[in-house]
Amino acid sequence: MNSNKTAPAAPETEQIRIKTVPHAKAIKWPMIWYLLMGQIYTLLPWKKTAWTCAGFPVELLWGFDIFPLHPENMATVAAAQKQSQRLIEHAESMGYSRDLCTYCKTNIGAVDTNIKTTLGGIAKPDIITCTNTICDTHWKWFQIQAEKLKVPFFMFDCPKIVSGTDERTIEGYINYMVDQFYDFFEFVKKHTGKELNVTSMMKASDDSELMSVIWREIFEYRKCAPSPYSSAETSASFFPLVVMPGKKIGIKFFEKIRDDIKKRAETGEGTLSSGTERFRLLFEGIPFWYRMRFMYDLARYRAVVTYEPYTFSFAPPKPFGKNYSESLRDVARVMMDLPYSYNLEKRIVYFEQAIRDYRIDGVILHENLSCRPSSTGMIDLKNAIQEDLGVPVLIIQCDMNDPRAYSEAQMKTRIEGFIELMERNRT
Amino acid sequence: MKTIAYFDATHDLPEEIIMAAGFLPYKILGDVHTSNEPADRYLQAFFCPAARSFLTEAMARSGDWEGIILAQGCNATNRHFDIWKRHVTTPFLHWFNGPSRDDALAHRFMKTEIWRLINALERKFCAGITDEKIASAIRESNVLKRRLQSLSALRGTKDIPNREYFEALVRSMQLPKADAIEEVNAAIARAEQRGPFPSNKRKALLTGSDVTYGEFMDLIDEAGFRIVRDDISEGERYYATLIPEEGEPVDALARYYLTIPKPATKVGIRKRIDYLEQALVQSGLDTVISQNIKFCEAFAYDSVLVNNELKAKGHRVLHVEREFTPGPDNQLMNRLEAFSEML
Repeated sequence: MNSNKTAPAAPETEQIRIKTVPHAKAIKWPMIWYLLMGQIYTLLPWKKTAWTCAGFPVELLWGFDIFPLHPENMATVAAAQKQSQRLIEHAESMGYSRDLCTYCKTNIGAVDTNIKTTLGGIAKPDIITCTNTICDTHWKWFQIQAEKLKVPFFMFDCPKIVSGTDERTIEGYINYMVDQFYDFFEFVKKHTGKELNVTSMMKASDDSELMSVIWREIFEYRKCAPSPYSSAETSASFFPLVVMPGKKIGIKFFEKIRDDIKKRAETGEGTLSSGTERFRLLFEGIPFWYRMRFMYDLARYRAVVTYEPYTFSFAPPKPFGKNYSESLRDVARVMMDLPYSYNLEKRIVYFEQAIRDYRIDGVILHENLSCRPSSTGMIDLKNAIQEDLGVPVLIIQCDMNDPRAYSEAQMKTRIEGFIELMERNRT
Repeated sequence: MKTIAYFDATHDLPEEIIMAAGFLPYKILGDVHTSNEPADRYLQAFFCPAARSFLTEAMARSGDWEGIILAQGCNATNRHFDIWKRHVTTPFLHWFNGPSRDDALAHRFMKTEIWRLINALERKFCAGITDEKIASAIRESNVLKRRLQSLSALRGTKDIPNREYFEALVRSMQLPKADAIEEVNAAIARAEQRGPFPSNKRKALLTGSDVTYGEFMDLIDEAGFRIVRDDISEGERYYATLIPEEGEPVDALARYYLTIPKPATKVGIRKRIDYLEQALVQSGLDTVISQNIKFCEAFAYDSVLVNNELKAKGHRVLHVEREFTPGPDNQLMNRLEAFSEML
């Protein structure tokens, strides 16, 4: 592409930058709290920990006073600390295929090399628990590690709500899920000696919903033009939503961020320098954790990611029921129907609505070599968005945790071509 | 006979219900000789090539079928349903969500799913699927499974090429059961007339991803190995156990499908390892060929632990990753031959 022809697209000389919100750095406090509590729970013999995964209702674990450790999150830490490649290669040297999930391989490498927590390591838990709602990888990976570490393993078998599933069938699925909740409670009791404190769980659920509400509020402000907050920041700040839903320190952090954004929205201030926002993007998929600069670099093209389903996914409305048994049914429904794992029909409707709501100029779909489930249907999704709304869509193939999949020059060329396409689409 | 085709990542779909509804159950296995280009318009190249081939076959042949059922197996079947729904023309498309667990809760859920399938078929085709019809289908399935067990038992003593055994299995999943039984009987008769197990071949157990084309079985043969035991779906998983013939038939089907030799797509890697170990000991084998089709995640995850455990027990294990191709794969052949020489 001839960059001279795209005046608004790539003004390399202009220093357009993402302006972080004042409290952005306060993320360190929830992170320190999380790492510290994880260590305390690991060290004290009467405290218990569990490995768990995205899509698992952590509130259940709080109800048992069990501390959740997240191998996926620690894998992202490893990537941000530039450790993931060597850990992935270590796992591959153990025999794991190049084609397998790089979160999994980062974790396998981290455990096998006993890497420090600050670099992405993780302690041995008392139990390992997961779901298969997002992918098979979660439970395959956790099953392997449970065998290796000789730790009891529990998997929630979540039926799949495929396109066209009727409500009656979903109710049947929920029955199966609720049966598994009771089985899970027995499992936890057997292996940790702990019993569910229903009041604690319900409180955790309420607080968790409060945290999600604030996150959704933040997303409401992101509808403003210029966008006061971008994916460059949410990719880091959504961390408490995943690992500590409902914890006060996380809620306080989100309140501060929300207030920062609210101020910006009220004064018409964007995350890019005044008047420079030109393209509003939707980014689907897990970011490149080892190359977070990607999101910042988009600013050079006056582009800002104003909506990403990935981080929004962790704050689905959690309409917990009036009582315990109703709540379990609601949790089951949320577990099976996370925005990240919506079926294709629902995903198209969801994306098209977001594109309208956030006034999106272009969509980037990350075809993630590590996440085949989320990449399934992307071609149909692209076609539907382009045909229904006339919004350009770019599919980029890469990987969330493996720097070997990222090519700087190719990425630049593709992004520049896409910016040009959006520019033409405007005119 | 009218056909209902099904996409089953392993052996999860109770085909006896399709039989009881008066249809021929046809397992979609794709065609390795046909380009996946039609499916590649909707599924990227880093998805399981066998699953892409199944979609290609369905797009081309769905007009011959009365309907299609997709059974929950791996990531591929789960998410691909939506793509089939958009791009495969069929009057009946059903999602069968068999459980991944195998305990009492899973058993109850499996029964619910079987009933949902029965209701869907009855609604669409006005097929009266009675207990008697299901029981009769179960008996017929069991006859076939017993005959396949007999054929399988000859693999260790007679000269039965890998492909011959494999093709008997494929036909068992695609022909009317009565025809399949006849074919397997003929295969048994032929095998019994054959010479003893060839002295220039080595006996091996095959594990890993499902095999959907005969050329791969030829390749193993050419490298000097005869597969006398396996745990693949187009193999022992299909017939190793029989469906209980007593009691309520839907209950029997649920029990059966949750207790067949475990694929990697189901929770319970320990049971999978135990089955392999038992098969090796029973048959006096010590050689294992573990293979993984490109992008088949479930089996790729299992392979390290499974193979390490088998090696620790003194078995000799070769693990290979294979492409989806009927052509001669020289790299693969080199590895198999080197393994043979090493032994």
